[in-house]
Amino acid sequence: MIGSPFNTALIKTTSHKVVIPFYVYAAFSFLVATLLLLTSSGNFAGHYFHPHILAITHTMALGWGCMVVFGASHQLVPVLIEGKLHSEKLAYATFYLAAVGIPILVAGFYVFDMGILAKVGGSLVVASVLTYLANIFFSITESKKKNPHATFIFYAVFWLLLTVLLGLALVFNFTQSVFPNNSLHYLPLHAHLGIVGWFLLLVFGVGSRLIPMFLISKYTNPKLLYFICYLINAALVFYFTSFFFFDATFYVFIPIAGILLSVVLFLYYCYHAYKKRLRRAVDEQVKISILSIVLLLIPIVTLATVSATLILGYGENTSLILAYGFLIFFGWLTAIILGMTFKTLTFISWNKVYRHRSSIGKTLSPRDLFNHTVFNAMSLTYLVSLLLFTAGIILILPMLLKVGAALMLLTAVLYVFNVFKVINHKALVL
Amino acid sequence: MNVTTNNDAKCTTALAGLKFVDDPEVGLNVVDLGLIYELDFQEDEKKIVCTMTLTSEFCPMGETITSDVTHALQNDFPEYSIEINLIFQPPWGYENISEEGHEFLGY
Repeated sequence: MIGSPFNTALIKTTSHKVVIPFYVYAAFSFLVATLLLLTSSGNFAGHYFHPHILAITHTMALGWGCMVVFGASHQLVPVLIEGKLHSEKLAYATFYLAAVGIPILVAGFYVFDMGILAKVGGSLVVASVLTYLANIFFSITESKKKNPHATFIFYAVFWLLLTVLLGLALVFNFTQSVFPNNSLHYLPLHAHLGIVGWFLLLVFGVGSRLIPMFLISKYTNPKLLYFICYLINAALVFYFTSFFFFDATFYVFIPIAGILLSVVLFLYYCYHAYKKRLRRAVDEQVKISILSIVLLLIPIVTLATVSATLILGYGENTSLILAYGFLIFFGWLTAIILGMTFKTLTFISWNKVYRHRSSIGKTLSPRDLFNHTVFNAMSLTYLVSLLLFTAGIILILPMLLKVGAALMLLTAVLYVFNVFKVINHKALVL
Repeated sequence: MNVTTNNDAKCTTALAGLKFVDDPEVGLNVVDLGLIYELDFQEDEKKIVCTMTLTSEFCPMGETITSDVTHALQNDFPEYSIEINLIFQPPWGYENISEEGHEFLGY
């Protein structure tokens, strides 16, 4: 025998029944968000603090981004932490609480009812995040191995909790005096804890494991990954502290520089993973995901420009702020999800259908479960839409906004088509 | 990677069959991927013990791959019972991939 073998039963991965509802919900949320984008495109020529823009942002952040991340992470966290998911029941609780809470909260923003609608919706979202946090926390602590990917996820979930708690406090701040200033004052803090603390840490944590895995790359660099993780956390702690204790506007370049450096270092990590890959051909889905990391540099530069105009006394540039938010949610975050859905969901669905394929003969592979022509068309409409809508915001051109939004809606329709094609796949024997 | 065995002739037959079992993500068969460590033919008990690994202990495709390996061995040796001995020491590494595997992947 070789080495010190031990017989082991295969550790069961998370059931597809837990994971797929998150993907379906996220797909519909993306469709709803793009529909709202089309009907409210004119609002993007005005101020960002608009009920419809708040509704779209939260549909994208919670319904689209969080739900797909929740779903994927229930499946991927066991792979990342080399342990198993603590509880599938908690995962169901996360889904149902969020599934009910998000539309109520979004409706509250849309009609700007910061009373019962926003408070009930926001409380349900917080409850959902608490169940998710408990599940991930226990999964990580029960795992015997520590690695940088788990560390990223641990901190990401912590910042997510802080984000939603602050968000709920801001909702209450509309009707009761929770903070000394109005809710608009705290909006940048709420937004950046979510964007950087939650989404960026999580994307880097998951990406640093999946990108080399999908490329079959020999490259590993845990020290670099730990450095990136702590750099992002340090930038967030600095920003959080400066927001409350000294002038955040003046010192904002320090955390921006930290985040920019972390993105550049992560790109360096991806580049080396790519260079040392064993698989020559790279999937379109992986390409679009790596592209999304590059796309992240654009909103960071936009944010630096917004901050520079504020510090230099030119006042708030609302068009640039809107472009920044749009590039984060419809740009970076959406690009990752559009790509990674067809790497992760295809496997989940394939496993559901072909887990016992040996009894039915030669079958399709996971990459055959979605329509590649539709995927390529989706990628094209997406990139053109992103370009047109961003130009529409900056140049304040309603026609460009309308055309860009229509193309983003078409992107969502094509995405939903392929998602349903994947999850409704029936066993085929070749 | 060389597969340890106590019966070279039967091992060759078994490996030829296992070359039809692919890792669904990579598209490469389990032999050239280097997942098979040992094939032990226990003639007294009419049993084949296949000692193998996965690319990760928490590989989502683990159940499918081990089930396919069992089925492939059963096809070639219907008179034998099949036992999969799944181990993670030594862990799978890229150095396990065969020359043919590297060629398949484009290198």
